[in-house]
Amino acid sequence: MAFGVILKRAVRDFRQNFVTHLMTTLVVALTCLIFVFFSLFSFNLQHVVERFGRQLAIIVYLKKDVSQERIPTIYQKIAGLAGIESVRFVSSEEAFKRLEQSFKDEKEVLQGVDPLFLPPSFEVQINRAVYHLDRIKEIAAQLSQWPEVDKVQYGREWVDRLEAFSRIVRGAVVASGIILLITAAFVVSNTIKLTVFARQEEIEIMRLVGGTSGFIQGPFLLAAFFQGTVGSSAAILVSFFAYRYVLGMLDYTGLVRSLNLDFLPLEYIALFILASGLFCVVGTAVALRRFLRL
Amino acid sequence: MISIDHPIIELKGVGKKYHPDILALEKIDLQISKGEFVFLTGPSGSGKSTLLRMLYCAESPTSGTITVDGMDLSSLYRSQIPQLRRKVGVIFQDFKLLYNKTVFENVALSLEVMGLKKSQLEKRVKQVIEGVGLGDKIFRKAVQLSGGEQQRVAIARAVVNRPPIILADEPTGNLDRQRTKEVVTLMNELNARGATIIFATHDETLFQDSHRRLLMLEKGRLKRS
Repeated sequence: MAFGVILKRAVRDFRQNFVTHLMTTLVVALTCLIFVFFSLFSFNLQHVVERFGRQLAIIVYLKKDVSQERIPTIYQKIAGLAGIESVRFVSSEEAFKRLEQSFKDEKEVLQGVDPLFLPPSFEVQINRAVYHLDRIKEIAAQLSQWPEVDKVQYGREWVDRLEAFSRIVRGAVVASGIILLITAAFVVSNTIKLTVFARQEEIEIMRLVGGTSGFIQGPFLLAAFFQGTVGSSAAILVSFFAYRYVLGMLDYTGLVRSLNLDFLPLEYIALFILASGLFCVVGTAVALRRFLRL
Repeated sequence: MISIDHPIIELKGVGKKYHPDILALEKIDLQISKGEFVFLTGPSGSGKSTLLRMLYCAESPTSGTITVDGMDLSSLYRSQIPQLRRKVGVIFQDFKLLYNKTVFENVALSLEVMGLKKSQLEKRVKQVIEGVGLGDKIFRKAVQLSGGEQQRVAIARAVVNRPPIILADEPTGNLDRQRTKEVVTLMNELNARGATIIFATHDETLFQDSHRRLLMLEKGRLKRS
């Protein structure tokens, strides 16, 4: 059966049953909308957590009596550890300058203070690929054993909280995702079943006059693909404008800017639209099966 | 049983049992030759519709074999059923029309499934609709027609693809005397053009004075052939 014939029949059918198709597309769009909002939230939350994690560094404070000649050797030793992204030496003078900057207009507070009173330190960034709480703890423990090292800080409390929060979010994402997927599957397949059921007689007659499965199913499947892709595209558009609107509303607080929120990436959107189309096609094919047995 | 050299329809020892133990048909042996017009009669529940349904593969026998126009229905794949149904035009008592579609669309469906070109399709559909006397109502919706007219649409749909076999399952069951006469005349015309027809009815007046062969079913058994 030529694709052109099926397409023509699908278009004709779409015109004749416009309201039914519109309602199905609307149901698909609403289901997708919930899914997109959910994805948007989880996507951004994950990004914030990741970004926050990347900002965490291990600070290795050296003993004051460590000679300048030892610094390059210690630097090399730290850089040589597994999972280290970068190492930066902060001398006592630089540390003092940073302190001064942080006081801004009240620099005079530091007048008369010895510029070398702060200990020299190394700022160690962990490689993103191996970033894990256990690895940070491990590296920190290792570094604190070295004789030249006075103290190791890595924002342990924050790391612990971040880890716990990530775990909760991940769990929530998976659980809600599964529930939403089941709901979506149920709603979409039932809507499609109702559509097919309403046209049961037509399908039966087509079977009786010698219509092949391709001839009968083709327009239904094409319509389902259309409903899936159009419905999900509409959901993406609505959520995009809603996202822009909310962003605009909250922008003045500076909070949103600091969180650096993003909309879903293009690859994800393309995949989502395609998957929605295919999902509707599969649902329709399953719903049609029992009507094609005559 | 009459023996025919090259039957277009042949049933050998056909039986049909429904769960749990309802016997619809039992040991049916039947041959129908090409171009023959036979009446199939019997009281309600005698198995007329079951027998017809098996001839277009809407049901399968629990025993025996059926051959239709050279196709052994017991060895037919599901994908081959449409091919069989294009050879067998079926007319139902309840017409089975798409009431929200026009006369043209209803009749054209039989040719659309075959993938006929638009120009050919239109020409043939118009010809057949005019042939059943509905030329002036071609673009009316089926729901706007009378019972007799609806049955003529159903006949047009069954014959538009020129099937060699026509199965009519109580086609006059819902019609008055005048419309019944019109349908029988149409069927005679189709037969005269070469179609093999099985006309199921329990209306004795239709075959009483007819020279046509009569098949009589009673409690699932063929009493007269």
